[in-house]
Amino acid sequence: MSMGDQSGGDASGRRALVAEYVLGLLGPNEHRRVAAMIADDRALQAEERFWTDHFAALDAEFAETPVPPQLLARIEGRLFGQPEPARRWTGFWDSLAFWRAAAAGAAAIAVIAIGTNLLRPELSAEALTTQLVAALEAEGSDVRFLAFYDGAGTLRLTALSGATAADQDLELWAIEDDSVISMGVVPIGEAIEVKVSPEILEHWGEGSSLALTLEPKGGSPTGVATGPIVAQGQVTRI
Amino acid sequence: MQTPSPEIAELISRCALRDRAAFRSLYERTSAKLFGVVLRILKDRSEAEEAIQEVYVKIWQRADRYVPGHTSPISWLVAVARNHSLDILRARRPVADDIDTALDIADDAPNPEQATADRQVRGQIDSCLQTLEPDRAEAVRGAYLDGFSYEELAQRHSIPLNTMRTWLRRSLLRLRECLSA
Repeated sequence: MSMGDQSGGDASGRRALVAEYVLGLLGPNEHRRVAAMIADDRALQAEERFWTDHFAALDAEFAETPVPPQLLARIEGRLFGQPEPARRWTGFWDSLAFWRAAAAGAAAIAVIAIGTNLLRPELSAEALTTQLVAALEAEGSDVRFLAFYDGAGTLRLTALSGATAADQDLELWAIEDDSVISMGVVPIGEAIEVKVSPEILEHWGEGSSLALTLEPKGGSPTGVATGPIVAQGQVTRI
Repeated sequence: MQTPSPEIAELISRCALRDRAAFRSLYERTSAKLFGVVLRILKDRSEAEEAIQEVYVKIWQRADRYVPGHTSPISWLVAVARNHSLDILRARRPVADDIDTALDIADDAPNPEQATADRQVRGQIDSCLQTLEPDRAEAVRGAYLDGFSYEELAQRHSIPLNTMRTWLRRSLLRLRECLSA
């Protein structure tokens, strides 16, 4: 009866099942089972995207309806707790005017990252002073990343845009003085954290640069960048 | 929506970086659309008001899962709202699982990756739905836009549940063929 018994045996059945899953037609147990199947199977993931993308064209039919005004405050209360006395950074970072100005600026991503760490009160003042950010971009490339260094050995990366061909990866490099050190391959689809190696940390700081190059799948085979730089940015102090 | 998508995509990415101003901005620009989604599926205003709050909590928590360039940002947000509403409905429906899922249909459909590679999917679904019998197209739309279950669809179309499922699955495979053509 269920799909577990016919893996691979009935591709059409599996495809229809993914369509039913995307439409939300399956009962709770089957829904969970199909979700697990999709998570394990790249072909089914493509199938899920296929349906999601196509059905999304119907989204225009959902009529816009204004939300009662008090709900935003409730959501923010749920997410951020009660309004607190202004923290050191809040006023500046949370300012809409700032973001609008930043967005309008010449480098359309004059982007500053707020890491979760910033919001944690237990961070020492010293750690705060070494937090760094970089906006990575390059002319003629649509790859744009934000990098945030938490002051404690971890770099957090988020892709704003960009895509790679199936047989290529983006590799991240730390550029310091004359040395270029690989920080590994970076997935484009998710926010990730990269440990900054002691070797890099030795000279790490304002003035260091980060760059992304296009490399063969799995990263440069030689340990030296072989592909074009698709995004680059200098690290600056927050 | 009138809002240009790249801007929405950036707002989502900033949410992933815990930027609260970006979150508020995102809410201001998209909440009417998403409220339309939860309201249409849940069909109950106070329930929808509760659900929309949970939807934005999820958006904040899952912003780092959004893949720019992969899905349009509005579609991604609508999917969060739609799936959340469907989860609510699913949790309260009687368990009617394990209807026979096997279907004996020849498998010669093309690979979906090629079909969606260029992302020129807008409008295609409408013309392909028109190739189905009107009541079947209506059932597919009802499932997507109103979150109707098989039980509800069977009732609305006055046919037995199993017949409904067989017919809809066949329609989905035909739809898939048309969309991949």
